[in-house]
Amino acid sequence: MKNSLLFGLLTLSTAIYAEHHDTGSMHSHEGHIHNEMVDGKTLDVDAQRFDTFMIGIDNNTIVVVSVQGMVCDFCARGIEKTFSKDKRVSKIDVDLASGKVLLAFSEANEIDSADIRKKILNNGLNTTDIQIVGK
Amino acid sequence: MINSSSLADNIYWHYTPNINYSVGLDYQKDKVSNDYFPSARFTYLINRKNTEKSQRNLYFKTGVGLNNSNNHFYSLAGDWETRRFFTSFSVKQSSGAGYDMFEQSAKVGVAPYLGDYGDLHTWLMLETKKNDLDNKQITYPLLRLFKGGALIEMSYHKKTDWDVHLMYRF
Repeated sequence: MKNSLLFGLLTLSTAIYAEHHDTGSMHSHEGHIHNEMVDGKTLDVDAQRFDTFMIGIDNNTIVVVSVQGMVCDFCARGIEKTFSKDKRVSKIDVDLASGKVLLAFSEANEIDSADIRKKILNNGLNTTDIQIVGK
Repeated sequence: MINSSSLADNIYWHYTPNINYSVGLDYQKDKVSNDYFPSARFTYLINRKNTEKSQRNLYFKTGVGLNNSNNHFYSLAGDWETRRFFTSFSVKQSSGAGYDMFEQSAKVGVAPYLGDYGDLHTWLMLETKKNDLDNKQITYPLLRLFKGGALIEMSYHKKTDWDVHLMYRF
């Protein structure tokens, strides 16, 4: 009985821990959000920018795309234009300073990393990382 | 794209089917002869290198007159830019009615502030040019402003007077 109770508690705590990391619950630190993902990578997004982006889309899944070569407004405009045509994407934010693009998807199962990389490449830029932050 | 200088006015339209090349039409009015020179243009991206903070490009460009194919040019142009600094170069061989000209130019620029996406972006630049017809090098300041899809570039030199360049990207 004691062992069963201990096993149950251990299983429950592991599930809670895993859920916390899988869905990417975030904490803010000195203006940035540092989120330890399950793969060990750290998500580094400007906290204020992220909060502003999240207004009105609380139930969306957010994709953070790290882009190389996005040094001017014209490049950024091309990316925004491309993803604004994608009906699966409900909101877009392009951050020139950090080279990151935030994409909000209302349906998590519609996220296609290969398609995102292809769209970025078609704009003449390179994707270095894609991270998905759960609802 | 519209360009106006003391020698000619140009209007240039180009379409980029993919990042590797673009095709375009240029319509030039020569202010000296008052003649019109329509031409077809082709630009090919030879190489692009993206890094986290920079982008470098190398292009081959060519154009041919639609009225007279003896009017043509080909050039090699490159640029490297970060959000703060910009450099570019161009070498161009042109042939027209009774002349051949080789022109070289280079540009350096700095952004006095780093704007966010959608802000007004400003570049302070210096451009230098030399061609083998008059063999004189001219260097002049240039102001580039852009916001959204619109770009304006203005430069002045006592020899060439004002040069204004407008571009809108759809």
